[in-house]
Amino acid sequence: MVHVYNCHPFASQQIVQVEQEPGLFCCGGGALFVVATGGCKVDAYNLEQEGCPLICRFGTMGTVKSIQHSKIGDYLVTIEEKNSSTYLRAYTNWRYQAEEKARVGVRLLGHLLRGASVRGGAQMEIIEIPLSERPIAVACCSVTGDLLVGCENTLILFTLRRQNQQSLQNQCQQNLQGSWSNSQQSASQSQGHQSSSSHNLSVLDFERSVILHITKMTPKQVALCGGYLAVQAELEVLVLKLDASSEPTSLDESSDTSKDDYLEDQADLLLIPRQQELLGDQARNCDISVTIEKTGLEDKGQYTLSYVLFRRFTPEFFQGCSVEETQLHSLQLYPLFTSNQSVSTEEPACLFCFFSLPNAGYLYSLKSGVELLSAYQYPERVQEAVLSDHLLHVITKNALQCFTVRCAAVAARTEDPYIDTTMKACPPNSLQVCALRMQLFIGLRSVCVYGRHVVLLSTVDTEPREEAERSTQRRSLGRRWTISSPKETSPAGNGWNLYVVDTVSPLTLYKEMVEYSRQYAETNPQAQSLQHLLSEAHLLLRAALLQTPGQQQNDDGTSSLQEDAYRQDEGQTAVQTHRQQLEEALRQNCAQLGDCFSRASQKVCHLALPYYRMSGLSVTEVIVRNRPLPSSPHSYGLGFLFYLKHYLLEETEQKLSQESADEVIDIFSRSSPSELLSVCASPSMINVSPARTLRILQHLEDTAGVSVPLTIAMATMVQRLNDLPQYTQLMERHAEMLLVYGFIEEPRLLLHGGGGAPRTHVHPTALSRQLAKSQPGLLVAGMVALHENNKVQLEQADHIFKELGCENCLQVDFWEAMLMASSQETVIQELLFRLASVYIDRLVGTNSESGSSFPCTSQRRRSLKSTDDLINSCSHYGALYPWLIVLCPAHTTSCQHQEELYKLQSLLCGPSLSIGSVQPLLERLSEGTLWGFSLHLLCTTRRGQYDISIEKLLDRCPQAIIAYANHHLQDKNMGLWWQKLLPELCDRTRAAGENSILLAALKETLVVVATETSPAQFLELIPDDGTASYFLPHLLTCTQRHLLA
Amino acid sequence: MTTKTSLLKVILLGDGGVGKSSIMNRYVTNKFDAHLFHTIGVEFLNKDLEVDGHQVTLQIWDTAGQERFRSLRTPFYRGSDCCLLTFSVDDNQSFLNLGNWKKEFIYYADVKEPEKFPFVILGNKLDVTERQVSIEEVQQWCQENGNYPYYETSAKDATNVAVAFEEAVRRVLAMDERTDHLIPTDTVKLHRKPRSAGTCCS
Ligand SMILES: Nc1nc2c(ncn2[C@@H]2O[C@H](COP(=O)(O)OP(=O)(O)OP(=O)(O)O)[C@@H](O)[C@H]2O)c(=O)[nH]1
Ligand SMILES: [Mg+2]
Repeated sequence: MVHVYNCHPFASQQIVQVEQEPGLFCCGGGALFVVATGGCKVDAYNLEQEGCPLICRFGTMGTVKSIQHSKIGDYLVTIEEKNSSTYLRAYTNWRYQAEEKARVGVRLLGHLLRGASVRGGAQMEIIEIPLSERPIAVACCSVTGDLLVGCENTLILFTLRRQNQQSLQNQCQQNLQGSWSNSQQSASQSQGHQSSSSHNLSVLDFERSVILHITKMTPKQVALCGGYLAVQAELEVLVLKLDASSEPTSLDESSDTSKDDYLEDQADLLLIPRQQELLGDQARNCDISVTIEKTGLEDKGQYTLSYVLFRRFTPEFFQGCSVEETQLHSLQLYPLFTSNQSVSTEEPACLFCFFSLPNAGYLYSLKSGVELLSAYQYPERVQEAVLSDHLLHVITKNALQCFTVRCAAVAARTEDPYIDTTMKACPPNSLQVCALRMQLFIGLRSVCVYGRHVVLLSTVDTEPREEAERSTQRRSLGRRWTISSPKETSPAGNGWNLYVVDTVSPLTLYKEMVEYSRQYAETNPQAQSLQHLLSEAHLLLRAALLQTPGQQQNDDGTSSLQEDAYRQDEGQTAVQTHRQQLEEALRQNCAQLGDCFSRASQKVCHLALPYYRMSGLSVTEVIVRNRPLPSSPHSYGLGFLFYLKHYLLEETEQKLSQESADEVIDIFSRSSPSELLSVCASPSMINVSPARTLRILQHLEDTAGVSVPLTIAMATMVQRLNDLPQYTQLMERHAEMLLVYGFIEEPRLLLHGGGGAPRTHVHPTALSRQLAKSQPGLLVAGMVALHENNKVQLEQADHIFKELGCENCLQVDFWEAMLMASSQETVIQELLFRLASVYIDRLVGTNSESGSSFPCTSQRRRSLKSTDDLINSCSHYGALYPWLIVLCPAHTTSCQHQEELYKLQSLLCGPSLSIGSVQPLLERLSEGTLWGFSLHLLCTTRRGQYDISIEKLLDRCPQAIIAYANHHLQDKNMGLWWQKLLPELCDRTRAAGENSILLAALKETLVVVATETSPAQFLELIPDDGTASYFLPHLLTCTQRHLLA
Repeated sequence: MTTKTSLLKVILLGDGGVGKSSIMNRYVTNKFDAHLFHTIGVEFLNKDLEVDGHQVTLQIWDTAGQERFRSLRTPFYRGSDCCLLTFSVDDNQSFLNLGNWKKEFIYYADVKEPEKFPFVILGNKLDVTERQVSIEEVQQWCQENGNYPYYETSAKDATNVAVAFEEAVRRVLAMDERTDHLIPTDTVKLHRKPRSAGTCCS
């Protein structure tokens, strides 16, 4: 179905005052160029001024067969004939031809030494571009100003060169010096120089850069844009991309392809050409071969060629047109810059290719995947079509009509790959195109477009008036086209006319579409048409927004004129306000699309969310827009509920007023009670009335049954009502473990923000605060469970405890509990370190007796977990080594830091704590006390420095040495018994005399050594001055044991 | 009422300084500049005129006479309908060079039948008192070369300038009844009142 909307795309029309019957015309740079039939004169009219006054008129060198204007460089290019030869010429500086009698400079391509440049560029110049073949078609690149010429079998690319005036001037000056025949002229020299230096124009020239040979296709039209070349023959279109490459194309490769072609050639002789559409690389398989000829400019680099698109039609495919009529026309490559691009430097982000048959037009998108964007089915034979910034304009014999285009949708997606998300939306690229109201004319011949100006040529001499009228009636009956007004504009008097029809601004057209959409909205808000129309309006605004200020300035090629600079400031603010208007309109449109999708079907209703979001409406506003009329049977739309749910889930900072929050509760209790719980838990709902909500939740429980999260939600409400007894009663309804599961199910009962995402701010809920006071164990268990279920990050949990003011108490409990639960190595290491530091902090704090380093300490409650709990349930806490008990028995340390000491010792005895990381922290603890010493000794031991440990221990607490040695000097460290401990003890007993502790230790050691060594070894170990009788029994045991073995 | 208009390309050749640019200026703008730049390369302008009931657009091509600009001017000889070989009566060398100019023209213009091509000879600076070239010498040269018409002109005094161009047109029209360079242009001379812009959609 083709939508036809009764919108008025055309605003006004003027008739250009041309004196002779126009033959050809083209637009560009704010001007309309008209060549009289068969004439050798070009009239340039100002399209941007009321009445289109004549700017200038200039003669051409031959009969113009084709004329084009290039935006870049502001030049005209013509194909001309004179004395049956065909020429290609570029007319530059045409704006200086204000006076028809001024001389025109002529030069050959590449011959830049010109009089005109001496005269400061203030002279029109014609560049003759010699070609070995007859040119058939020509096109200018709107991005670079390059020129593509299509001949019978070749395509030739000319690059535009701009030579700075200043640099040329010196050159010419020198040259002139010799050419003055008499001294009189030196006076005029200085004059001339002065006048020329006031201008700073660049002089244009072209350079032949690439020649492409093309077989089996005769170009009728060509197009060029940013490295893309399009060629159109009678029924074929081929699009190629030319890339400058540093690597030279290998000869082998090219000869290979030609071989392939040769094979295909033979195959094709047997086949009748068939319909073909080959996209992207596939186009390579078309039977048209293209080869690059070397231009001899080797240092200029090489080019590589890739196929982009091939389309072939067969004439019999199209009904309603005779075979002769069925020919392609209106080839166009259309670039689109996205708003984050700077037009001058970059290649366009989007590129489109349009071409047309008499009964259908085709618009392809060429970048980021080649695809057919839209196919336009014309109800009547179309003679010419032009793609403009917002619309596709087509002319039939008797009407101008426009269709909507999808380029802006493609651009939006290119610009923002996240456009189709819950954040943003844009109507699909495939949205059905539609036709707008048409405007009748008689005998239309051709059309061209400049910005919002559509220029039309009509001539009636071939068609009698009655026939025109008959055809009009026929159309009206058909009702396939919406016709603008019965009053036709007919060419009066001359039999021909040149019209300039202005299209309305996109904003105006948008407004009309919105107006039009009201009818739909009232009669049938669910209708697809409303959605479609609003989507059309949306794309119209997007297209308008894409015409960024930068681009608009670039649009007029006259920017080289100095006065432009003065106008710019004024223009800038106008552009700014225009942009604001468009943005405001886009927001409104998004709001309407949001309304539309909020009532839409299951399949598309989710679009309400991104559109409402883009509209900038507050939730409250959206709620108001979606309130069902009291009389209406409609309840809330699916899309609206989807929006609301997402909004409430998404943890925005925006808090609803109590009124709105209560309304939200009502909406969900009516439409989707199962969502009520998660709605209540949303931070946006913080202001909801607790008593009212409690009643509703109570009712929900009555109908849907008891659930843990629901109970917690109710408890939250009760708590807000300060009814502590009822709160306690509710919380006691379920076991702690079940409550923890309840938190996993709905984490927002405990914390707001986050949602599992890292680095977002989280806050404790009122319930969390209550739990910290009344059930800290539950809070910690809940947080651990949330962490382990990836609902909260460690840093976020820390933040929660910080906000709760439990940094040094509950938070430490949390870490300890985390250590018990977590299995992630990085988290474990982090926690071990944190806990070790906390313990050390506390020990240092009490040690220095300041106590101020943690304010919690004085009134600190006991930790949730004792050392024993931890040792028993957490593998990272090790059982205390026996020698620690000997070294510092329980009563020797103050009970204030006993727990921390044990925990730290336990960590040091455990397998996981990395000693290297805590060592620096331990430096803060003095070795003065035994317990301090014990920690340092643990460290030394853990690092395997048993020698030092043995010495230190013997120094400080020899009674612990055997317990230590028994525990640590085993297996590979066994040797230390006799290598280190035995000699140490011998030395020390000798020095200390009768020290019973040392002697006992020595005795124990000798027992061990005697069991572990051979008699010979043992003999070696006995000190020279030792009493034989003392060592003898041990030697005996040793020998006996050996004999037994 | 429509008449046929043709675009006639007329090219001025001759030594640097003989007054080609001055002649063209005199003819088209009716002005004379005693201190004129040497022409670099090629310039042209169009002038509409009626000769013997024929409406023609005369496209006058002015070229640089100095030898070193040869490569800039020769590519544009092609397609000329008439060539005005110019010398200055006070400069004998410029007269002696006429033959070379003719040769250069015929070579680069790729003229099919050189003996039939319409040349017109102009002896400029008639106002100067110290003549170096006599009328007889010139007439004899014209006789020997193809019976070319000869005009003595003065761009300064406007003597014979228009006459010479009209003669050139006549030569082209008379010599060449083939219409291949007559471009069928419908010239409509309607003095329409300017129509005001109206709006079409209500
Ligand atoms: N007295 C006099 N001086 C003339 C006449 N025509 C030209 N001159 C002067 O002669 C000088 C050269 O004239 P141009 O018209 O520049 O000569 P040209 O043939 O165009 O020279 P190139 O451009 O170098 O080929 C200028 O100073 C003119 O003023 C004339 O009829 N009489
Ligand atoms: Mg000159």
